[in-house]
Amino acid sequence: MNTSPAVIEVNNLTRRFGKLDAVNGLNLNVRPGRCFGFFGRNGAGKTTTIKCLLNLLRPTSGSVSVFGLDPRRDEVAVKSRLAYVPDAVAFYPWMTVRETVHYLASFRRHWNTEVEADLLRRFDLDPAQKTSHLSKGQKTQLALIGAICPEPELLVLDEPTSGLDPIVRREFIETVIGAYQSGDPERRTVFVSTHLIAEFEGLIDEFTIIEQGRELFSMEADSARDRFRKIRARFAGPPPAVNLPGALGVKKSGRELELLGNGNCEQLMEILRAQHPEELHCESLSLEEIFVASKTLAEAAP
Amino acid sequence: MLFRIDFKSGKAVYLQLVDQIRYAAACGALRAGEPLPSIRPLAEQLRLNRNTVAKAYTELESQGVIETIAGKGCFLKDNHSPFTKQARHKLLVEKIDDAWVTAHQLQVDADTFLELARERLAFFEREAAKEQVRSQGGRSS
Repeated sequence: MNTSPAVIEVNNLTRRFGKLDAVNGLNLNVRPGRCFGFFGRNGAGKTTTIKCLLNLLRPTSGSVSVFGLDPRRDEVAVKSRLAYVPDAVAFYPWMTVRETVHYLASFRRHWNTEVEADLLRRFDLDPAQKTSHLSKGQKTQLALIGAICPEPELLVLDEPTSGLDPIVRREFIETVIGAYQSGDPERRTVFVSTHLIAEFEGLIDEFTIIEQGRELFSMEADSARDRFRKIRARFAGPPPAVNLPGALGVKKSGRELELLGNGNCEQLMEILRAQHPEELHCESLSLEEIFVASKTLAEAAP
Repeated sequence: MLFRIDFKSGKAVYLQLVDQIRYAAACGALRAGEPLPSIRPLAEQLRLNRNTVAKAYTELESQGVIETIAGKGCFLKDNHSPFTKQARHKLLVEKIDDAWVTAHQLQVDADTFLELARERLAFFEREAAKEQVRSQGGRSS
């Protein structure tokens, strides 16, 4: 439906470290204005992929393009249009918050000083404080200011909220929605890798789950929640042996039957209802549950 | 206005917003001419993608429920189309279904269920009648 060129396009990307294939034939396509979730377990290849996007690592094979450009050839052109917040941020410890902001701004053609003042106030950061005295949460907030003030077209977030307290995590997400996305919603793209999927659930339009450097599956968040549902039935006696076409992860325990429906939940519910259960319950899987069950679901996913 | 987004309902998030605003309009929680929350603070508050909230508002506008006044925001329209009778019945039937499932689990039979429903209706009618007496009494004194 959206035919505008991709902001991020990854084709058959492979990155090897010695004998280890950290990324192994990965494809990605992120369109402008989207918030794209990039999910995977530790060591699945998320950070390696992101480093290839930023030309911090070179692909062993395959291609990576950002804004239609090759980050290896057009590094400055690419980086001037994006901002990156890694999981561990480091600043020059002798600089104050104000000096750090000015230093970061000096690399940018455009810098929104109104947003800067607004966020410093919102995060309650003291401009005279030395960065060496900032907490982990405050360092992340400072990095977020550095990423949002240039109003880039693409915001790349790599585990941005891990290890932060719930209040800082909440503010972080609100800032991404408000200060960043609302500035120019059609063209501001977010690419976020995270384990804290539940917190980003409302933000994610579309996601890819990777494992061992390969894509398990990619889906729109709304259609994934519509398609994958958990069904639970409790019977008066042992669960009857019925044929449940397409049901995944069928588990029996005592008088209960639990299964994952894959797009045909209504049909499965009908079959179970005909067995007169005492209780029958159906709910969608959240994105986090989809991630946890991704290996089972991948057998049936497109 | 209180919104509740349920990612486990399986319904597209923007449609949940659309339905909740239409519901608020239908039951008078939101009146004609009253403003809807602006997109940005609502998105921040619900921690939803800004575009999801915008999509819900666009949908409500195309359904004729709300109108956007440039520079002022979104407002519930005077002649907003409330739910059709059918849609209102459907909403009610869902609640009745829930109650009936609970009744079944609690081993309450159909006759007792209907009896209880009638009892509750009578209760509300009595309350309404008392209220009317009170307000009339207040006016005459």
